[in-house]
Amino acid sequence: MDFAFTEEEDAFRTELRAFLDTQLPDWWRGMFVDDERAIPFTREMCRMLAERGWLTLAWPPEHGGAGASVWMQTVLREEMWAREEPRGPQYMNLNYIGPLLMRFGTPEQQERFLPPMARGEVIWTQGFSEPDAGSDLASLTTRAEDHRDHFVVNGQKIWSSYADAPADWCLLLVRTDPQAPKRRGISVLLVDLATPGITVRPIDTMAGPHEFNEIFFDDVTVPRDCLLGPQNEGWDLVIAGLTLERVGVARYARAGRIIELLVAHVNETGRAGEPAVRDQLADLRARYEAARLLSYRALSMQAAGEDPRVEASIARIHNTQLEQEVGHAGLELLGPAAQLCAGDALAPLRGEIHRQWVRNIPTTVAAGTLEIQKNIVAGALGLPR
Amino acid sequence: MDLTLDDEQQMLADTARAFVDRSCPPEVARALDAGAREPNPWSVIAGAGWAGLAVPEEHGGAGRGMTEVVVVAEQLGRGPVPSPLIATTALAALPILWLGSDEQRRRWLPELARGTRVGTLALLEDGMRDEWDVIGVRSVPTLSGTKILVPWTSAAALMLVATADGLRVVESAPPAVCAAAHDSLGGDPLATVVFDRADSEPLGRPEDARAAIERAVDHAAIAQLAYTVGVAERALELSVQHANGRQQFGRPIGSFQAVAHRCADMRVDIDACRYLAYQAAWSLDQNRPADIPVAAAKAFANEAMRRVCRHAHQVHGAIGFSTEHDLHLFTRRAKAFELSYGSRAHHRERLACAMGLDPRP
Repeated sequence: MDFAFTEEEDAFRTELRAFLDTQLPDWWRGMFVDDERAIPFTREMCRMLAERGWLTLAWPPEHGGAGASVWMQTVLREEMWAREEPRGPQYMNLNYIGPLLMRFGTPEQQERFLPPMARGEVIWTQGFSEPDAGSDLASLTTRAEDHRDHFVVNGQKIWSSYADAPADWCLLLVRTDPQAPKRRGISVLLVDLATPGITVRPIDTMAGPHEFNEIFFDDVTVPRDCLLGPQNEGWDLVIAGLTLERVGVARYARAGRIIELLVAHVNETGRAGEPAVRDQLADLRARYEAARLLSYRALSMQAAGEDPRVEASIARIHNTQLEQEVGHAGLELLGPAAQLCAGDALAPLRGEIHRQWVRNIPTTVAAGTLEIQKNIVAGALGLPR
Repeated sequence: MDLTLDDEQQMLADTARAFVDRSCPPEVARALDAGAREPNPWSVIAGAGWAGLAVPEEHGGAGRGMTEVVVVAEQLGRGPVPSPLIATTALAALPILWLGSDEQRRRWLPELARGTRVGTLALLEDGMRDEWDVIGVRSVPTLSGTKILVPWTSAAALMLVATADGLRVVESAPPAVCAAAHDSLGGDPLATVVFDRADSEPLGRPEDARAAIERAVDHAAIAQLAYTVGVAERALELSVQHANGRQQFGRPIGSFQAVAHRCADMRVDIDACRYLAYQAAWSLDQNRPADIPVAAAKAFANEAMRRVCRHAHQVHGAIGFSTEHDLHLFTRRAKAFELSYGSRAHHRERLACAMGLDPRP
């Protein structure tokens, strides 16, 4: 057991922080803000990271990566997430879409899709949920008819992140065998969003622009060489992808940064002596430790070549609730002025805590609701489904 | 960073687990809780060398650390196996290692490490708020006064006594030292100990006593947390068993999401407590700043164990309240843990200080 980062990892963190301090503009507040500069900046940032070999740090060398350890990658994720994820939508490529291609893609697919990801030039979105297939994802009905050398896709996806960024490609779940049991007739397609018949409609949310979208598919042609993995057996890819996604985001790192902001704030405003304030911030810190350690547990398993499916859900349960609680507690601590949004000159801490709260309202819904995560944990305990 | 057990730790865990499964069914805890002297798991624990895990090899121990103690303690909690392992290691052997003279170490550590002698610490007094409160008992000119809630006392035990004049070691028997068992919640046997002009010798300098006591309490807290993780693990096993076997409305109650999710919540809390305990033990072993790891672990676990037990009882229904069922053995120990070695408020305040919250108005 070892609960410390190595000197090399610590040095990398220092270097990365210095890089972000220099490169992040003053106006940078993350990608979920009403600022046209945000998404183009994330593209620029990814190119800069790619130049330094940091974008695909943990990818294997044969796919254009530096072959670094899970823990170097963790340092990168922590620093990125703590600074509002300046890689923008592309963190999904690095965390799970790329790794899925490495695991399930043909050599031709890997050759075609991985290098642009490694160069930081392409934004992917995912087409998973549908209006009638949310928690029951396997009941999805978007159809892909097999026309031998191509598929014809019809249907509708929803809650696709960053599709209006605009995204270039979509990792799409489709039903290819309507007769099979629902988990057995699903396939994964790699879809060029410039294909005729595709319409993206942004959904206005509480969190602001560039988040969720609907995608409509109307007789969309997808070449057969864009089928990822075996036809009708895409559900296994979904499970693998969701595990990677659940452990791929260092949510505790941003929660930790918000806690630090709040500590500094109450020290400056002379409120650090209030027993309720001390108690609240200490409680958040204890929960932060728990969330961080359970993430590290799942990552330790990944580093050992194991598949932390249940452990990823346990980590996510801690992390998502921590992110929410940090927002709620922070707003309470800031008092009535915390109602002011980032755009208001008097917003405390530049509206950062306000954003933390609002953007995390759906955190316990995304990538499998809290209830679905608990079902996964309960299933592993041996309880009847 | 690596949160997996190394091969030796895994072997230790497997051995301890096999011992608990084979030789320590809950009936053992029931008998010992009721005052029986047999069967005595301590002879096996001592024989396996577990009492000396955190004691250096030159003093007859295994030269490992708290991380290994935590690994074993967790398995013992699954029994639950009552034993003076934590008291002997954390409350007696380690303070002697830290403060004792070479002669004192040579005299006491080998027998504590072999488990041929039990060690303990008399710290609390009637009226003390907690383990950090001001100590009243004096040892100058002689040791007289009353200590309460002393774990695992016996005529043969080596007793460290926290006094206003420093740490003392007492080896004398009645009438100078008289112990009377408390009627307590469960877990470690606790006693009131009355000292009447007892012979004692100093352990270290008086000015070093406070820091050593606090450090010993930290070590005991984390080992006890690990033990309680095992306790909670078994409470979860029992809950899952019950949820699968108990039929209502024509189906196992575990098929109801409201019941299944309580079990999932238990797993989510228990795993957090386990890794918080490991991190704290590792920090203590590495002599790293331990305020945040220890305080975070204890503050989180005090609350988490309440939730775990609440869920376990809710899943079990009425039978869980019956002492015919084993669940109460675990519930009592989880509560005893919560009430020992610092409250939520204590450890949160400690965290607040360590986080840099400036207490001045």
